Amino acid sequence: MVTQQTRPSFLPAAENAMATSLCLLLAVLVIAPMLAVAFGAIADGGGLSARRLATVLASTRIIANTLFVGVGTTALAVAVGGALALVLVRIDTPGRAALEQFVILPLYVTPLLTAIAWSWLGSPRGGLINLFGREVLGIADPLVNLHSAGGVIFVSALAYAPLPFLLVGGALRAMDPSLEDSARIHGASPAKTFARVTLPLALPAALGSAMLVFVQAMGLFSVPAVLGMPAGFHVVGTEIYRLINNYPQRAGQAAAWGLLLLAVTAVFVALQAAVLNRRSFVTVTGKAFRPRRIAVGPVRHFLAGLVWFYVAVAVALPVLTLAWAALVNFLTVDVKLMAFDLRHFRYVLFTYPKTYLAARNSLLLGAATATCVCAIGLAAGWVIVRTRGRMRGFLDQVSMMPLALPPIVLALGLLWTYVGLTLVPIYGTIFILLVAYVTHYLPFGVRAASGALRQLHPELEDAARVAGAGLAKTLRLVVLPLTRPTLAAAWTLLFILAMQEVSASILLYTSRSTVLSVAVFDLWEAGNVNALAALSVMQLVVTFVALALVLRTRQREVAA
Amino acid sequence: MSAIVSVEDLVVGYGDTTAVERVSFTVAAGEHVTLLGPSGCGKTTTLRAVAGLERPHDGRIVIDGVPVYDRGAGINIAPEKRGLSMVFQSYAIWPHMSVADNVAFPLRVRGVPRKLARTAVERALALVDLADFADRPATRLSGGQQQRVALARAIAFETKVVLLDEPLSNLDAQLRLQMRGELADLRRRIGFTAIYVTHDQEEAFSLSDRIMVMRSGRIEQQGTPAEIHAAPRTRFIAAFLGVRNIFAADIAGASSDTVVEARLADGTVLRARDPWGDGRGGHAAVAFRPGAVHLEAVAASGRAGNIGTVTRSLLVGDMAQIFICSGPLEICALARPRSDFAKGSSVAWRVDPDDCLVLRE
Repeated sequence: MVTQQTRPSFLPAAENAMATSLCLLLAVLVIAPMLAVAFGAIADGGGLSARRLATVLASTRIIANTLFVGVGTTALAVAVGGALALVLVRIDTPGRAALEQFVILPLYVTPLLTAIAWSWLGSPRGGLINLFGREVLGIADPLVNLHSAGGVIFVSALAYAPLPFLLVGGALRAMDPSLEDSARIHGASPAKTFARVTLPLALPAALGSAMLVFVQAMGLFSVPAVLGMPAGFHVVGTEIYRLINNYPQRAGQAAAWGLLLLAVTAVFVALQAAVLNRRSFVTVTGKAFRPRRIAVGPVRHFLAGLVWFYVAVAVALPVLTLAWAALVNFLTVDVKLMAFDLRHFRYVLFTYPKTYLAARNSLLLGAATATCVCAIGLAAGWVIVRTRGRMRGFLDQVSMMPLALPPIVLALGLLWTYVGLTLVPIYGTIFILLVAYVTHYLPFGVRAASGALRQLHPELEDAARVAGAGLAKTLRLVVLPLTRPTLAAAWTLLFILAMQEVSASILLYTSRSTVLSVAVFDLWEAGNVNALAALSVMQLVVTFVALALVLRTRQREVAA
Repeated sequence: MSAIVSVEDLVVGYGDTTAVERVSFTVAAGEHVTLLGPSGCGKTTTLRAVAGLERPHDGRIVIDGVPVYDRGAGINIAPEKRGLSMVFQSYAIWPHMSVADNVAFPLRVRGVPRKLARTAVERALALVDLADFADRPATRLSGGQQQRVALARAIAFETKVVLLDEPLSNLDAQLRLQMRGELADLRRRIGFTAIYVTHDQEEAFSLSDRIMVMRSGRIEQQGTPAEIHAAPRTRFIAAFLGVRNIFAADIAGASSDTVVEARLADGTVLRARDPWGDGRGGHAAVAFRPGAVHLEAVAASGRAGNIGTVTRSLLVGDMAQIFICSGPLEICALARPRSDFAKGSSVAWRVDPDDCLVLRE
């Protein structure tokens, strides 16, 4: 016992070592790429210049397009997601338990696949809806045109609406119903109560989700690439892709775009923080309330119909379209010409050379990302929940920063950090993709783990420490087993999400480190639509099987 | 030299607030010492600092001859290396383990071979009457049983010192009484050194060899239960111990006098005991328990007493609390209910000098 050496910091050595190494790790993961983007934007030959920034700022068309997509997607997604939350959490909508599961599915179908399916459905000339209009209904003009700014916003909002749904729905559930009761008792009508009490209390969640969607939409690549580029509609995401993937590569110009995106999202985050600070109120007490459902009479069937409509448009239609395209010999609306077999699956599985490599890389990356994010999340969450001091504050702030970092900017930052860094030769391997994914999904892991840790009485750990277990043993023997249900669910979701990442992957992959989402995009660019559909369907099957497993284990937890 | 735990000038703070302010005490081997005080007085923080679960700002803690914290020398030994056991207020029974696994944990993580550990666990569980519960999942236990598992876990490794942080406060009144008895019994049988934290004076008085009463991060008085009961040193402690009659007083007489005259606000002069023998400072007060007040009807009082008027009378069991108004003071007395102590009657009251104690601020 006397062999303990002196420690100048007075923090117990193990905690100190863990917190310090986490701080360093997060600085490398999160802060380094941001600094690298800023450096890349102004580095010019040997010196610094604002030349590239000026070029970027002069491209007003792309800036306007991007802002239009960013703001439009955010507004529409928050409106749709918020309405879904109200209808499913606060109104006695029939079938809401099942619908709650269905409306988050677009997150797993992914913006890329939704956009591709909708491009087949709604392109001005070859789109199935327009073909159907022309050949069956005899209408010459296209019924819809999704190859447009409106199409990009429509599909992006469909794909991102689950985020506001989850956040606003969570806030509505955490709201004490007595707050509304007291408004009613003090003379407010139901409508006034809603406008003066419920909505303002849900505002922080709505703004928070708006921030998330805005960051994603501003850096969006997949949807504009599929729906915008054919119509000559370019945004920053597609522009960065073009600058990096066309020869000669212009990484400096791309970095300038990245810095601009960073600046815009930073302003947005600051605005959001300012609004929330001015009206800070605690509605989330950690207490679970039974939300009071408003009985709206027969209207509830109509509302349920609207939710089903969303599910149909955002999930069912795209997935069915993909399945149909995977099975049909070639795309046509003429029933007489349709023939179905498995030839596209056979092609993708046995002939297409990239499938095996991409699938292996994606599975490896999905598992590695989920494991790393859960491990870092648990360690960082522990420091955030259980310690005080400066390192705790740093971890708390920095671990959430990736939420404001569009993945395509993150990828740019990693390019600028690791290309030519022979000391860490990860460029061109799947490790740079792993770094990107771990950074991008880090906030998810930290939130999940710290939420689980807050549920855990700290004396459970104190007891282990006094009983003779060190920090590592305490984490392994007490904390890990008790947070395992949460971590297992988080692991599976992260596995699914990492397998589908596009925006960062598209800048970082090489032929040897290609992944499934990139293979899908490649097939789309090559116009091999049926093979693309077959590959996507297989990816979706894996995703939904994994999701079903999460749901089952969660239900078992509830039952136990 | 028999001190097994010694705490010197301990300072612990959170942010800007100081929870523990220069606390020093020693605990002798085999002694049961209690830190007693209201919530927020720093007693739990002191205990947790001894355990290594709080990081002090200053001071020195020595356990069994080994400095485990010493700011001057830059020593801060992790809790797991301090060789202690602890019973927590929440019991902190690990819900993912069986009863036996919980009790075996301190032995297993300290590398005790499985066979020896099993014997120790059986012995500890037998001591708390849980021998039949070894394989039960820890979540399927009542509050009292969880408390016993926590105790068994604390004694299984036979550490010299066991820390107990309000171990009985989560139990209902009846169970608390029973567990108090069992705890005393257990310590008599195994004879560990205990540092015990509670806000319940009955617990403190019935279990302890020595009590330290804490207030706002300092130890205000320490002594045996009998000493503290007989002579609470300050107004705060007297009030905390439930002494009903505490009045500011002007004290006449030299500071070394053990019996002095105290003049109360209504002009009454009481002869009071001053056991402290140190400077009284500007403000002083006297305290006496209701049971120490002798009451007589004015007509019957041959000798001169202090005269007051009965304002109300409350029946407490077979005694009555009688409240007497004298000038600005309201004195509480305990007496057999009698018709001449009815509301409005004049009564003569007096207190023996031995029962009337001079307090420090």
